[in-house]
Amino acid sequence: MNARWFALIVAIVAIALVVAQDIVPTTALFHAWQYALALALAAFVMVAYALSAQRGEDGPIGKRLAIAHVGALVVLGAGLASGLLGPDTDTIVRTPGTVAPLPDLGRAAFFSAADGAAVARGDAHVLLRKRGEGDIDIAPGAKRYLANSVIYTQPTHAAFIDAYDTSGNHVTVTQPEGSAFLSPILLFRSEATIAGKKLPFDTFRTPGAKRVIRAIYFSAKDTANMNHVAEADRNAPTVLFAVDDDAGKTLGIAIGASGKIVNVGGLHLRANIGTYPALVVASAPAPIALIAGLLIFLAALLWSAFAIPPKPALREAHG
Amino acid sequence: MLAGAPAVSYTLKRTDGKLDGLDRYRGSVVLMNIWATWCPPCDAEMPELEAFSREYRAKGVIVIGVDQGESQSVASLYAQKHGVTFPILLDQEQAYGRSYSAVGLPTTIVVDRTGHIVKGIDGQLSIAQMREAVASALRAR
Repeated sequence: MNARWFALIVAIVAIALVVAQDIVPTTALFHAWQYALALALAAFVMVAYALSAQRGEDGPIGKRLAIAHVGALVVLGAGLASGLLGPDTDTIVRTPGTVAPLPDLGRAAFFSAADGAAVARGDAHVLLRKRGEGDIDIAPGAKRYLANSVIYTQPTHAAFIDAYDTSGNHVTVTQPEGSAFLSPILLFRSEATIAGKKLPFDTFRTPGAKRVIRAIYFSAKDTANMNHVAEADRNAPTVLFAVDDDAGKTLGIAIGASGKIVNVGGLHLRANIGTYPALVVASAPAPIALIAGLLIFLAALLWSAFAIPPKPALREAHG
Repeated sequence: MLAGAPAVSYTLKRTDGKLDGLDRYRGSVVLMNIWATWCPPCDAEMPELEAFSREYRAKGVIVIGVDQGESQSVASLYAQKHGVTFPILLDQEQAYGRSYSAVGLPTTIVVDRTGHIVKGIDGQLSIAQMREAVASALRAR
């Protein structure tokens, strides 16, 4: 393999890595020193080839390929900058209606207020705010780039709890161990092991009714195998409630389907089950540099193809 | 608590059935008390909160109570029994409690005339502490 092909293959592999960094930014590889070293070595190979090509050592094709390598170096630069200067990957889980500061981005994330219906639909947004600037809306499935960061939301299990006492009065739900004390929304940040299987788990209290409740989330797949759940409810997630009194005595266990009231341990409980967004902030190559570099690389590559001399036609042998 | 940030408002039903919200009191200094009937410190604080409300009403300070997660009948009965005259909002979804990051009950939020948070205070307050809490907001013009 000659220098031209070696440099070209190095450039293509390095570009592929940076593009992959943009597609799956949270992958640990892209935040390791080995990745930065690999890009730096690739850059060294490309610069060495481009300089020799500029001196005319690889003919007219080499001069054009040198421009392609400049494009590849722009892409690599974007990848290196995001790896070295971008923030560490962070998944921020907050209760609806609360705010999380994002010091690396100079902004604050406002997790939109959500009622039971919004949790069940799973369509809540997160807004990024900065004084004097417009809001950046991160809708479910959307990706936004800010400097060397990519920001998007990831749905997490959630259940909005309505609790009533035996007289039918709505009672306060608190989460002394949760992400917000006065929140009726469970985000299932912990895990419980049942029959060797790890399941999303949360706890809440109803101080007015003196109850402590453990809640375990069952996915639609888990629920499908539960014979004691009504057949009509077996295709959707459910929540198991284990109700204790405030002395720790277990008063009852019941499984609730989304939106349906279950009576257990002197409480009537309803869970609207769905999702709520967690905010993911990860370093990623700046899209402008990535696209510009790719365009330069591809255009120069195409241009070099035109510099390849045609193969000489075979002459008929005359005897 | 985000002191200086705009105070989030939700429109909710009051114990008297009317709709109300924090943003309706723009132009007045507001002392918002987040509470519940089952909470012993809230119960202990309520007589002083009522006395403060009566004393400061004429000075342009509005007291509003925001009951967390309870039924209208429960909160109304409590208000009647304790002679509460300031408006009480019924926050069944606990939206105010969440937005103001209350770490316990009661939680008191002071909002200035422009609708910005002045301070948030966790726990039971005496009437002297309530007077002190609104002093800077009342001085500001």
